[in-house]
Amino acid sequence: MKRQVPLVLCFLFGVVMCFTQFSPHQYSQAVYNEVINWALIMAPFALIFGTITLIQTHVTRIRRRIEHWQYSFVVFAGLLTMAFIGILFGPQDPAFEWLFNNVQVPLDATMFSLLAFLIASAAFRAFRARTFEATLLLIAAMIVLIGNVPVGDLIWNTVLSWLPWDNGASETRQWILGNPNLSARRGIILGVSLGVISQAIRLILGIERSYIGGGD
Amino acid sequence: MELIDFIGIWIAAFLTLCIYSFLYRDNPFYRFAEHLFVGMSVGYTITISIYQGFIPFAWEPFWEAIKPFWPGVPREAGWSGLWKLIPIGIGLLFFGGVSPRYTWLIRYPSAILIGLGAGLAIPNVLRADIFEQTRGTVEPFASINAGTLSIWGILGAILMVVGVVCTLIYFYFSVEHRGPVNWLSKVGIAFLMIGFGSAFGNTVMGRVALLIQRVDFLINDWIGSFGALF
Repeated sequence: MKRQVPLVLCFLFGVVMCFTQFSPHQYSQAVYNEVINWALIMAPFALIFGTITLIQTHVTRIRRRIEHWQYSFVVFAGLLTMAFIGILFGPQDPAFEWLFNNVQVPLDATMFSLLAFLIASAAFRAFRARTFEATLLLIAAMIVLIGNVPVGDLIWNTVLSWLPWDNGASETRQWILGNPNLSARRGIILGVSLGVISQAIRLILGIERSYIGGGD
Repeated sequence: MELIDFIGIWIAAFLTLCIYSFLYRDNPFYRFAEHLFVGMSVGYTITISIYQGFIPFAWEPFWEAIKPFWPGVPREAGWSGLWKLIPIGIGLLFFGGVSPRYTWLIRYPSAILIGLGAGLAIPNVLRADIFEQTRGTVEPFASINAGTLSIWGILGAILMVVGVVCTLIYFYFSVEHRGPVNWLSKVGIAFLMIGFGSAFGNTVMGRVALLIQRVDFLINDWIGSFGALF
């Protein structure tokens, strides 16, 4: 009961969602839309459960005085402030928008911009042209980087002015992105897609059941 | 400049500097900003999920259905909203995970969402990622046949097919990579390295653009706001 019913549910919903997309019949489309609505209804519960787990984790950190436990209060402060104002007054509330624009957006943008520094140090290690493959990686990255900024074409048109074509930096970048890069991406996408389909079939047929977990 | 905007700029600048202080080393200011970011992101996501998922798709139809039970409230919609009690009930099973004794209840909503996602994935991935990508790879050959492609276009089309096939051969582990297969997979590695290099270059550019935007904010907005102090 505890293991078989979820497998049956997974099979039923998987098969229904798969086949309704091949049928334009109104009943088929109605079922499709209703099941999508079910997913939209259930997803917030999963999110709230995830939040409860996060709160439990931080309560445990505070209770056990794990290193940096004081910062768990900061998590609670941020979470409660945003959720309280947002749920009570709605996401269009000026206070909610003010917090979003002046706290969350700067934090988000700065956190990701920090990666510019980390990625630079990673590049220093990755771009040492020791092998043929590493050299290709280095050249492709440098061309894309230089071709992305106007100074790339300026250098090209100044230093390589004797060549018969202008704006070579951005055009070479465009050619790399549109040809060898795209073919590698397509190869990866095709491989990943075949993997996704086989995994989806395994899930629907109950061959892959790790999401059920252990126990009875 | 209004006071509320001024306070907003100073808070944003303080948090930006808190995050950048990590470049020196891990410190309490960075940890404060990092934890605040986690908390506020979760609070924001919950709010949006409730207002864009739960309320329009569950609460409003359900409320329309149970209205007649409230005295003096006119009935406008049918009973179909009660149908929403099923996904609400299944969604509530997620909270079984709070108690170790009832953790197994999570399996029901998880199985439905996983089955639903898997069922959606099969036709969509087939259509968008396999058929469309294959079509995009071989389509230029129709232009070659029609004689509308330049010599560079023809070379590009051939290079595309060679790249896709060789990349796929590199990931094909059902045969041993020896002889011609080994050579083709080596060509595949070369294409992959160019692809990874391009992706790396683009990622660096994206992050640097964000960095420029934050520095621009600090210089123009924050330092620019100093004038309002005096």
